[in-house]
Amino acid sequence: MRIEGNHTLKGKPEKVWNTLTDPEILAKCLPGCEKLEKTEEDTYKATLNMGIGSIKGTYTGQVKLVDKQPYSSFKMIVEGKGGPGFVKGEGILNLQEQNDHTLITYQGDAQVGGTIASVGQRMIQASAKMIIGQFFTALDMLQEQQPPSSETSSGGAPSGSSSPPPNFFFKVTLRYLWNELKKILRIKN
Amino acid sequence: MIPAAFEYLVPTTLDEALSALSTHTDAKILAGGHSLIPAMKLRLASPKYLIDISRISDLNYVRESGGQILIGAGTTHYQIESSTLLKEKCPLLTETAPYIGDVQVRNRGTLGGSLAHADPAADWPAAILAVGAEINVRSSRGERTLKAEDFFVDMMTTALQPNEILTEIRIPIPPQRTGSAYEKVKQPASGFALVGVAVQITLDTNRTCQRVQVGITGLAPKPFRAIGVENMLKGKVINDQLLAQAAEKAADGVDPLSDIHASAEYRSHLARVHTKRALQRAVSRI
Repeated sequence: MRIEGNHTLKGKPEKVWNTLTDPEILAKCLPGCEKLEKTEEDTYKATLNMGIGSIKGTYTGQVKLVDKQPYSSFKMIVEGKGGPGFVKGEGILNLQEQNDHTLITYQGDAQVGGTIASVGQRMIQASAKMIIGQFFTALDMLQEQQPPSSETSSGGAPSGSSSPPPNFFFKVTLRYLWNELKKILRIKN
Repeated sequence: MIPAAFEYLVPTTLDEALSALSTHTDAKILAGGHSLIPAMKLRLASPKYLIDISRISDLNYVRESGGQILIGAGTTHYQIESSTLLKEKCPLLTETAPYIGDVQVRNRGTLGGSLAHADPAADWPAAILAVGAEINVRSSRGERTLKAEDFFVDMMTTALQPNEILTEIRIPIPPQRTGSAYEKVKQPASGFALVGVAVQITLDTNRTCQRVQVGITGLAPKPFRAIGVENMLKGKVINDQLLAQAAEKAADGVDPLSDIHASAEYRSHLARVHTKRALQRAVSRI
């Protein structure tokens, strides 16, 4: 399965790069991330509880960042498995500056197997798109909350004040729903 | 094919169901069970609690009230298919129902269950959008009513909150000189829609289009109203050429699904062709 797309995030590539490669931040933005630990340089072990609607499952796997070209691109290798199936894939993320914002383009290939692939074939691609969208939306909102560029290369000190609040993804969802609600109310007026 | 263990709750009133839903976390509502149970058997879903609402008789009805037809969320596909009230006043629903699954599915599966599950290829959403329905949902704290187009948020994702139950579908009774049609291309193995197009159109005596609603399922991650098609027809005198031109807009502005059954291009093509056919058939019935 081919996965590609793009997303614009606020801030210059330096800032976005630091966010994207910070495991603490990633753990808060990956939908359903329960655990993300560093096992060696640029290699992380993750436990994700994700799904769409009632279809949910827990996956454990490994994420590896290679070919890092600071502030412009890196390659991500993902391998995971869980009750519903397994996923394996790799993709390249490119960062490009655009008027103080950063355009991220990504393209990659993923193989999905197991039960989820045999019965969920028709929804896998769209699910992947949806989950990637959720990830970037969370990332964007988290970046907004951070103090401007002062401590970009924090290296992983478990900082108190600047670290994003727990259950961040939940809050993003709430805010999204609130916006939807506002839209609905406006239509009715 | 054996689900993970779960607790099974069988409330007999809506209030009991709502209170069970607000006190248990990781609970799912079970209606007809024709999507949830297979997913549980494959262990793609393993909720801790199932709240079976199929014994709540207050959720099972089709009746007319104040210019609307009200359908309880627990009404089965077959009950809709065989409703004389709907056949007379809102025939798009009785036409759509037989396209769903098979006899067993239609005898157990419910309208509310199908809408709440929001499968991107389900038939009901197209029809519900085309008849301009409103969807009533309730929680233990109150109720709210949503337009059908605001109810569907994304693939298998609706505006329903975890503590809410879909209770009723409200359909405005269409005026005189209204025609409707549902056109579907089935995926041969599953029977799900590769594309399904539902149309409801009202013309005046000069054949000027007063109202038109086009709902499309199967094409995108969520069902949608084809606004581009509707805008080309509203206020215009209808002829075959205009219907064909409008149908060309069916896939405009959507991000089509693509899978081993049909590519995005093929799905878009099917949407255009079947929008044209549905429009023609709906107009011919006025």
